Amino acid sequence: MAAADTLAAARPPANRTISWLVFAIAIALIVATPFLPNYHVRVLNSLLIYILLGIGLNIVIGYTGLLDLGFVAFYAVGAYSYGLLASPQLGLHMPFLLILLVAACLGAVTGILLGIPVLRLRGDYLAIVTLGFGEIIRIIINNLDWLTGGPQGIARLDKASILGIQIARPIDFFWLLLITVLIVGTVVWRLERSILGKAWAAIREDQDAARGIGINTTNAKLAAFATSATIGSIAGAIFAASQRFVSPESFTLQESVLIVLMIVVGGIGNIFGIVAGAAILILLPELLREFAEWRILFLGLLMISLIIARPAGIVPRSFGPEKLIRGLFGK
Amino acid sequence: MTLVFQSLRKVYGEVVAIDGVSTDFAPGMIHGVIGPNGAGKSTLINMTAGSYTVSSGSITLDGKRLDKLKKYQIANSGIARTYQNIRLFDQMSAIENLEVCFYPAEVAAAWREVIWPPYANAQRRRRREKCMEILRFFDLQGYADVDAGGLPYGRQRMLEIARALVANPRVLLLDEPAAGLNHHETAELTAKLTALRSPDRIMIVVEHDMDLVMTLCDSIIVMHHGKLLFRGTPSEVQASTDVQLAYLGTANDIDDIRAAAQDRRAQLGIRARRRS
Repeated sequence: MAAADTLAAARPPANRTISWLVFAIAIALIVATPFLPNYHVRVLNSLLIYILLGIGLNIVIGYTGLLDLGFVAFYAVGAYSYGLLASPQLGLHMPFLLILLVAACLGAVTGILLGIPVLRLRGDYLAIVTLGFGEIIRIIINNLDWLTGGPQGIARLDKASILGIQIARPIDFFWLLLITVLIVGTVVWRLERSILGKAWAAIREDQDAARGIGINTTNAKLAAFATSATIGSIAGAIFAASQRFVSPESFTLQESVLIVLMIVVGGIGNIFGIVAGAAILILLPELLREFAEWRILFLGLLMISLIIARPAGIVPRSFGPEKLIRGLFGK
Repeated sequence: MTLVFQSLRKVYGEVVAIDGVSTDFAPGMIHGVIGPNGAGKSTLINMTAGSYTVSSGSITLDGKRLDKLKKYQIANSGIARTYQNIRLFDQMSAIENLEVCFYPAEVAAAWREVIWPPYANAQRRRRREKCMEILRFFDLQGYADVDAGGLPYGRQRMLEIARALVANPRVLLLDEPAAGLNHHETAELTAKLTALRSPDRIMIVVEHDMDLVMTLCDSIIVMHHGKLLFRGTPSEVQASTDVQLAYLGTANDIDDIRAAAQDRRAQLGIRARRRS
């Protein structure tokens, strides 16, 4: 115990420096964004969308320990909700916030629909089935020409507006996404710390022992799938609104794999890990654009060295929002 | 008002693991279950806790049928258990291993924890205090925030019992709690388990350590080849020739066995000791 006490006493200063550094970089980036060229803002928007997706998928993979490779399906559900409800395709022009709500509900329903058949599966088996599910959704969209426009997708989506304020420029979407990420991030973080989050962790560690202490694992897992899918779907709706175009191409298996990779590289089960993972996997390819094909090689090498150097991810599990707040405001 | 087994059977294909066991366990007592390896002791525990299904017969607690329920429902009916091979939530801290046991009672209000921080803080503090109390009983308070997987083996055994107690169960099933413990730890375990005896708790201990069983238990059932061979107080069990025979095996030559049993009894007093 004595050793632990000294450690705890020695830690706060270091923790404080890191916390302020993280905080300062985040604030600087946010303040600078309005002055950046549109292209850069778009890259940041894409970063934020991937962070949102990462936060959603992390609930299933990181907290509950279920390897889901079909997450992009929920992203597609959200995107096509907007595509169908706010475009000339069906002649519907519903308001953005209402569509967001519809997308969230549809996401939750699809999440549960996927969850029910795979409840008994774990590990590799679950990964394969969810992978199949992701592909099924994409192929359905691709072939349902009369509804989704098939491979051509849906174009000329409505401009989004919230309470009369039009959201059209990249910087508008930046603020929208930033607020969404903050809200969703906070909710998910609080969920993780709630009794439900603890049950998710118990299921991840030992499902049978979790049942043995009275956890209805069916319900807890379905809650994880539904929450995760809801977030994926919300991200999809915002994505569609910002692109004003949706097509099945955006929802390939590669996207699912990319999101899983973000979580693994950043640090499984940690919201800050997702931010770090997204920064590396989304920003880096953009920064390395001029090196054309070489960047894949760069990324590959980086990935290998990261996995050797930090197999548990860049951000340690212990450095979560709680640590950050404590680092910033003392105690 | 007890835990009752009625003609309980467990069959795996051709193999009969539990063959018509009928008995009951009264509250306020510690019941020992002993028998040679493969006698069906752990199977009994696993069926009671819902880890295994029941082939036929019934298990009732205070008149309520348990054997048709799902495992988590059985747990929520007041049955808690530990495992022969420790099964903690390794990457959760010791106290989190206990806190998560509040799930059945509190999950319905989980959404309030999400949207209302003061409520969440109050809940967390209350859970932590309750669990800290249990950890203190097992002298584990110093390990509260250490990952369960990183605890020394003996502490893990204790933590598993602590976790089983959070829900204040009517029935506490302990599957070889002393396995792998040293003498000092076993003595500590005996003391803790004795202190846990309470008028409305049914405690059932499966154990190979005969010293522990004989000192701890008020009543012992002896299992042999899936059947209930003998039931009695520790001294009755020690005096029973049947039990001696069961422990020495059931080879064909019964005379040899009897002779061996007498030899052994002469040498060791009465203690038949086996460890797996």
